[in-house]
Amino acid sequence: MIEDDFYRSSSQFRFWSYTETSLRSLRATTNAIASERVQSALRKSRGAQRSATSSAAGTPAPNHTGSDADSKAGGEETEIECLTPEEEHQLVRYFCEQIIELGEMYKPPLPTIVRATAIQYLRRFYLTNSPMTYHPKSIMLCALFLATKTDNYYLSLRQFTEVIPGDTTSEDIIRPEYLVMQSLRFTFDIRHPFRGLEGAIMELQAIAQGIGQPAPHFPTQTPEDLKRKLHALHPSPTASSTTDRLARAHHNTREILKSAAQMTDAYFLYTPSQIWLSAFMLADRPLAEFYLDTKLGGPPADPQQQGNPLSELRTKLLRTLTGCSNLLQAYTPLASDPDQKKNLRRIRKKLFHCQNPEKADLAGQKRIPAAAAAAVAAAADPATSESEMERLAKKRKLEGKQPRDIFGGELVTQRTKE
Amino acid sequence: MPPSRESIQNRGDEDEVCPVCKSSRYLNPDMQFLINPECYHKMCESCVDRIFSSGPANCPVAGCHKTLRKNRFRKQTFEDINVEREVDIRRRVMQILNRREDEFDSKRAWDDFLEQREEIIANLVHGTDVAKTEADLQKYAQENTRSIRANQALDAQEASSFQERQTQEQELARLRRQAARQEYENERRELLAGREDVLSRLAAGRPADAAAIARDGQKVLLKKSSARRSEEDRIRQKQAALRGSDARRAGQFGLTTADKAGDAGDTGLIKGLRKIKTPEPEKPYDPFGGMVPDKRDYYTLRDFYPSSYLDPIRQDTRMQAGGYDLREYYSRTLLEAFAGLGCFIDEEVSQRDAANSMGITMPVATEGAALAAGSSGPAGNV
Repeated sequence: MIEDDFYRSSSQFRFWSYTETSLRSLRATTNAIASERVQSALRKSRGAQRSATSSAAGTPAPNHTGSDADSKAGGEETEIECLTPEEEHQLVRYFCEQIIELGEMYKPPLPTIVRATAIQYLRRFYLTNSPMTYHPKSIMLCALFLATKTDNYYLSLRQFTEVIPGDTTSEDIIRPEYLVMQSLRFTFDIRHPFRGLEGAIMELQAIAQGIGQPAPHFPTQTPEDLKRKLHALHPSPTASSTTDRLARAHHNTREILKSAAQMTDAYFLYTPSQIWLSAFMLADRPLAEFYLDTKLGGPPADPQQQGNPLSELRTKLLRTLTGCSNLLQAYTPLASDPDQKKNLRRIRKKLFHCQNPEKADLAGQKRIPAAAAAAVAAAADPATSESEMERLAKKRKLEGKQPRDIFGGELVTQRTKE
Repeated sequence: MPPSRESIQNRGDEDEVCPVCKSSRYLNPDMQFLINPECYHKMCESCVDRIFSSGPANCPVAGCHKTLRKNRFRKQTFEDINVEREVDIRRRVMQILNRREDEFDSKRAWDDFLEQREEIIANLVHGTDVAKTEADLQKYAQENTRSIRANQALDAQEASSFQERQTQEQELARLRRQAARQEYENERRELLAGREDVLSRLAAGRPADAAAIARDGQKVLLKKSSARRSEEDRIRQKQAALRGSDARRAGQFGLTTADKAGDAGDTGLIKGLRKIKTPEPEKPYDPFGGMVPDKRDYYTLRDFYPSSYLDPIRQDTRMQAGGYDLREYYSRTLLEAFAGLGCFIDEEVSQRDAANSMGITMPVATEGAALAAGSSGPAGNV
């Protein structure tokens, strides 16, 4: 199918699609590495703290990062208890829900697609980073701001910051931006299921009005035929007319896509068209099956018959769709479940202890490319900065004389010079 | 007794006698002897006229029953009739077996061909296996008429272009000579004029100026001759460039015609001919590389879909003015509805991972971990 090849070329399929096992092992590895770092860092800071206090008893508050962790842990030599992968996952999910809530606070509310993109950024980010290393509350804001930019929903940073509760400054929001982008492997394209759902509803409406187009593999279908079949579907208990039924199914599917599809691993495990179709199945199963049958043909008359690629695809697809539906259905919002809420509070408390102290200060540190970092370091040193600046200015002036060298000399001329 | 060389050249042998009518040159000094390449029997012009004017007839020489035609009679070129005959045969064979060296795969094949040709000629000359050789030759000629003709054309072209070049060079040489002569004349005239001028000025001027005037005259002459020399150089360079470009053009011409000459003539007679590849006829240009631009497997796009949500846009001039076409939206939403419906990630990704780990020995998990380590590593240094 040619449409599938379109999707196979996307970065979402190439870099961000996982099987369940690979997803689990990836999270476990990330967690293991992070825990190790946290433990070594805590031990180091504790050692520094102790040596500092023993050597100079009267020195006032030498190292506040160390003292923080030390006082809470009671200075004992026990192993620090780190988050498990499941706890990390729970925490990330909580912050995904926070993104949705935060989006509501804007006037007008942020579009669903922006929020969904931000959620996916956050989820992708925490595949290779641990909440113990970078606290999600800062990353979440950055991801949301990044999403407004990548989804063409322009908000100035000031406008964006005003709405956020607490004393978060705009600097805090963009500080981890480079880090986030790097962890996203600079792939900002997220394929959402929303637009696909619109297309399907649009086509179903056309069928309902008797102007449906036959699918390419079934040129014998006629618009009247399709219309008749659609109206003859097993009637849904809630909706009276077909149009009403379509609108209802549309709305319910959208709701599922907004919540369950975002809060589960669906984006990693399934393709967007599979996601919307399974959500559609949850909303109105007969309608979804009818639509699928117009595309791939009905169930084969003879189940033993092999070789028809369409019906083979259909059975395989139905299996995948069922898996996806189950995943979506299993989702329950955190807020609605007091047990989960309690669990979450526990996790956050635990995280407070096992936050990597080396990154605690730096958690939001702006990630600067090596070259820029070197420049900053040079600028910080007053002795070298003067001459360095002069040299740079001179260089710039030289380059200014040859306007074609804005991006450096041409490779070819360099070679001929040799 | 063999006639001397001079006598052949002017055909002035007194003793020569026509073998047919027995009239001798002594009686008829204008007598011309003719031969026919059928049998190479010599006879005088009047005999040819007499016997063959009324159509083909048998050779009058006793024992020779060849039928001869008048138009084939010609003058003898070589004294020795055998040489004459061999040259004729050679010319005929060469005309048929006129392959060129660049048509052969290797030098070896070309040499084999040359040897074979010599052998055929020798066979025909000495009369060994004549019937078979002739048959081979005729067969080859029939099968390869096209290539034979093409090669003949090439030969003719080469000959004519060579001729042309010769005449051109001669013309150039003539022009050069003329220019040189002109130059020399001019120089002489100027020299004389300058001398006269100096003399007249000396006659008119005061005696004190004499030395200065003489020096001036000398200087003017020198200047003129140096200017002339540089002018000559310039002309010579220009001519050389002109000649070079001519030669190059001729070379290109020869090359393209050689490329053109080609046919699929295949014969058992000549081995080692280079296979002539006729270029495949160009297929019509396909900008999409075999893909049908609007081909879809899940849906057929319509120009209009009823939607209460989209209908206002259709009427909205603000939307239309910007060039927005609702069909863009239709095709995009429907494409996204089905893009990836048949991609089964659990299968395809695990296959891909397996392939990756075989190639790079780096499964996804460790890759991600490496990324995590990499992304957290430098942060610690800052």
